[in-house]
Amino acid sequence: MILMNYICAFFLMALGLYTVVTKHNLLKTVIGLSIMDYGVNLLIVSVGFHPGGTAPIFSFTELHPESFFVDPIPQALTLTSIVISACVTAMSLALVMKIYEQYGTMDTREVRRLRG
Amino acid sequence: MNWLSYQHFPIYAIMVLFLGAFLVVLLGKNRVVRAALALLSVSASLALLVALVPRVMLGGEIIAYWMGGRGMSGGYAMGIALEVDALSLFFALLVAVAVFVACLYSIQYMEHDDNVSQYYTLFLLLAGGVLGLVLSGDLFNMFVMVEILTFAAVALTAFRNTVTGALEAAFKYLVVGSIGSVCILAGTIMLYAQTHTLSLAQLSLLLPGNLNNATKLAFALLFVGFGTKAFLVPFHPLAADAHGAAPAPISVLISGVLTKSGIYGIIRLVYFLFQNMDLGAIRFLLVVVGSLSMFVCVTMALAQHDFKRLLAFHSISQIGYVLTAVGLATTLGVSSGLYHAMNHTIFKGLLFLAAGAVLHETGTTDLNQLGGLAKRMPRTTALFLIGAASISGIPPFNGFASKWLIYQAAYQKAVESGHIGYLLVTIVALVTSTLTLASFIKVSQSVFFGRLPERFEKVKEAPFGMRLAMGVFALLCVATGLLPQAVVKTLTLPAAQAVENVGRYIAAALGTEMPAIRTVTAVEIGVWNPINWLLLLGVSLLSVTLVALLGKYDRVSENEGAVRAGGKYDLFFGGEKSVHSQVGGGDLFWGFKHNWRHYFSFMHDLHSGVVNDYALWAALALALAIVFSQIVL
Amino acid sequence: MLNSIAFAQTALLYLGYVLIFPGFLFCFVVGLLLTGIDRKVVARMQRRVGPPVLQPFYDFFKLCGKETIVPDAASRTVFLLAPLVGLASLVVLQLFIPVFKFSVFGSLGEVADLIVILYLLLIPAVAVMLGGASTGSPYAGVGLSREMVTVLAVELPLVLVLLSVARVVGRETGRALVFSLNTIVSFQTVSGSLITRVSMIPAALAMLMIIPGETGSHPFDAAEAETEICEGLLAEYSGAPLAVFKLSHAVKLLTMTSLFVALFLGGLGTPIAQLVAAVGLSGELAAAVTMLLQVLALVLLCIVLTVLTISFVHAVTARLRIEQLFKYYWTVVTALALISLVLAWYGY
Repeated sequence: MILMNYICAFFLMALGLYTVVTKHNLLKTVIGLSIMDYGVNLLIVSVGFHPGGTAPIFSFTELHPESFFVDPIPQALTLTSIVISACVTAMSLALVMKIYEQYGTMDTREVRRLRG
Repeated sequence: MNWLSYQHFPIYAIMVLFLGAFLVVLLGKNRVVRAALALLSVSASLALLVALVPRVMLGGEIIAYWMGGRGMSGGYAMGIALEVDALSLFFALLVAVAVFVACLYSIQYMEHDDNVSQYYTLFLLLAGGVLGLVLSGDLFNMFVMVEILTFAAVALTAFRNTVTGALEAAFKYLVVGSIGSVCILAGTIMLYAQTHTLSLAQLSLLLPGNLNNATKLAFALLFVGFGTKAFLVPFHPLAADAHGAAPAPISVLISGVLTKSGIYGIIRLVYFLFQNMDLGAIRFLLVVVGSLSMFVCVTMALAQHDFKRLLAFHSISQIGYVLTAVGLATTLGVSSGLYHAMNHTIFKGLLFLAAGAVLHETGTTDLNQLGGLAKRMPRTTALFLIGAASISGIPPFNGFASKWLIYQAAYQKAVESGHIGYLLVTIVALVTSTLTLASFIKVSQSVFFGRLPERFEKVKEAPFGMRLAMGVFALLCVATGLLPQAVVKTLTLPAAQAVENVGRYIAAALGTEMPAIRTVTAVEIGVWNPINWLLLLGVSLLSVTLVALLGKYDRVSENEGAVRAGGKYDLFFGGEKSVHSQVGGGDLFWGFKHNWRHYFSFMHDLHSGVVNDYALWAALALALAIVFSQIVL
Repeated sequence: MLNSIAFAQTALLYLGYVLIFPGFLFCFVVGLLLTGIDRKVVARMQRRVGPPVLQPFYDFFKLCGKETIVPDAASRTVFLLAPLVGLASLVVLQLFIPVFKFSVFGSLGEVADLIVILYLLLIPAVAVMLGGASTGSPYAGVGLSREMVTVLAVELPLVLVLLSVARVVGRETGRALVFSLNTIVSFQTVSGSLITRVSMIPAALAMLMIIPGETGSHPFDAAEAETEICEGLLAEYSGAPLAVFKLSHAVKLLTMTSLFVALFLGGLGTPIAQLVAAVGLSGELAAAVTMLLQVLALVLLCIVLTVLTISFVHAVTARLRIEQLFKYYWTVVTALALISLVLAWYGY
């Protein structure tokens, strides 16, 4: 089951990259970036997951050597990463909007004043 | 620990910047207040870092600082750490100095923009992000800082969103930068999955010798991730776009600071985390990527006709020098590479600020439109010439001092290893330097000398605040060029020593017993004594000038306004009508470009400006890196 | 007290070096002499009478007396300062090139090595370019473009030549690499000139071809090309600054030829020293006589090299276009230098 998670995570990352490389619509590029982020997030939570573990919420008195729980660090990392990718998506959407105002197009092949 | 004790200084240095970022937004209505706030926080940060120099640089101490006092538990590094060794501090000082000068410059440069308080917020976020990255002792923290700085840099690139291409550049940068960030995050998490720690020190202890396919993949991901941050080939078009569109002080930060953070990441990766520089293949990787960046970008720069875009390509070319030198894996190589990194921050900062001054006064950076500004902006011209001489490696300025060490390091390595590839690298480095000179001669001719177009007759000198900032950089250019021994001894050699004492870096963080310092020396084979040369030149110049003054040299005849046009003070046109006849910047080196025309047209087509193509290059680079790492590691 | 006297003596000595030998006076006389001889030889080869050998001296002083016109469009400081900086840096460069065994920096430690010299050679070129560019003349613009391309063209083979010399001397002295010019020359006084090595012959040939390119003489003078772009960078110069530029050009002849002597013919000073010893002189007199003879030998060699690489070539060739020039240097000359480097690399 965990293996499936890993496969999915890398598949999502590859899918996102594929979208960014092949799609000529600015919005689709942004979507591709988000998919890549989701892939990584899935990877992170899968890394911390132990089958059968409980949620890592304990007070110090409850904690004893036999307690079995999922790794809390990746979950904290995922939260951070999700926040960051939300920021990046917001920023890129703002840029796309502005680009559409200036260039009047959403096609990446026409947004190329800087080249050479 | 007292709250004033020096262990706290690194976190304070980062905090004042982020604090400043918040306060500027809150209190930034008044322009004096916001400038004072920004300047205060960057100078506080600089002062805090300088205070660490005696202990960390000269004393070889390593500060391991655990946030909230939570450090090791059960043999695992659990807390979030800052770890400051000489290497970190070296880069942190670069960052702090560049940020300080750029902030000084911004005060007058950004006067006419709106939303300046947001500008300062993003500026300080960017500065804090880079500083946090280089001082961090924790891989995930590095990723967070990378995201903060990428975010701030993208926003600042698009800050003047009415400038042609600003939005487009920001978007391209965001897309490829995000791919890089995702790579870093994925690499980080794969290392965590294998070792259950994020601490750089502990990773450096656990990883070397224990590689499996997952950690090899992580190496490739991290390498490509930091490579995007340093804009190495094939990510260089983004640098060109972003620098060209961003306001000048931001270009200074992107080229002088942000690219360095990528280099810093790569050094940490290959010398600390994986410690695989003894593998020929990794040296090959670094040197080849470095030399490619060096050569491809300098030729791209020769073909540019925009001042800032040209400078941007040169940034990457110089970063190529740094990476090549670091990739040689000798003490001299690392030390000279770091020296060049420092010099690059200084002279490229100066050049970008000069370009900014030109833009501020004339409203354009197009080389085909400008010309003859030396008569209207003499001081800016002088400062620009210092920067140009530095980057082109003209003695006695700093660019020469470090490049000369790099040539030696490369050739020495070639002879020691008997590998003819390093010989080729030496030659490429030497030729690149001359090509750099060529493109700066082009800039001098097309912007500052040559013919002054009529529309720029009324142009004024740049204001004092901007000249002051440029003056600081120019002074540093001269000082670090004239005192190479002192710089190497106090700054770059300690940093190179830190690179070779990984054991101490690990021990300092994990609280185990510190191994003794392994002192390193950089053996130089060449001779260059700039002070003596300067003395001789001074005597020589003085005597020529004296003789010239005794003759009639200075009693030149100048037009006092009595002679009308068509007289002897006009330029000679050979009887043609004296229309404006500047040789266009793009065509200046026709004789050279004609011989390389196929290469240039190929490169021009390759840099298509379509974001999908750049993403494709990133994907290809990633694929190559993954295959490479699986095979050789 | 004693210290300050010693210091004053050293300072005076170095002032002498800069001003008289091998500094200004020497450069001035020999440089202009080389130009004069060059012009005379070319004229004779073209069956003209030609100017007297001392003509460059007359030209120099005549020019110094002429009015210096600063064009309206020029930026005055750069316009006037560029010639002086160019000349001063060339003269300092001349100090670093040992005259056989004699070097100005024998006791005080060397100041600059081969690679530094490579870059110091750029300063005069940059000075000319900036000086010309500061006038804003379109001829200067074209001239600047060509001058820079010439520098680019020459740089690659020159780098290769210097690297192969450093490698050969380094291997034979057991130190991997030697960049110090003093060491290279003193090595040759002991074990014979480098040109006698098989691996160095292509490099020496390449260097001979580099000399006319670096000094911008026929057929590599596209940058000056009087007949099409009115001397390019010098188009607006007149009077004393022009004289200084002409002088720099003459000094560059001396620099390049004596660099060739130092790199490839450094062993030729030894027979002179042996001869002096054989005659029976000793002590300071012998040293002085040797020195004098060696300087004479150097001047003679420089004259021979100038005639060989500049006058002969000048008389029989027509000017190359700039892209032909570039191609020539990056193919023919580079190939020669590369052969040398590869031979040196594999230990021949």
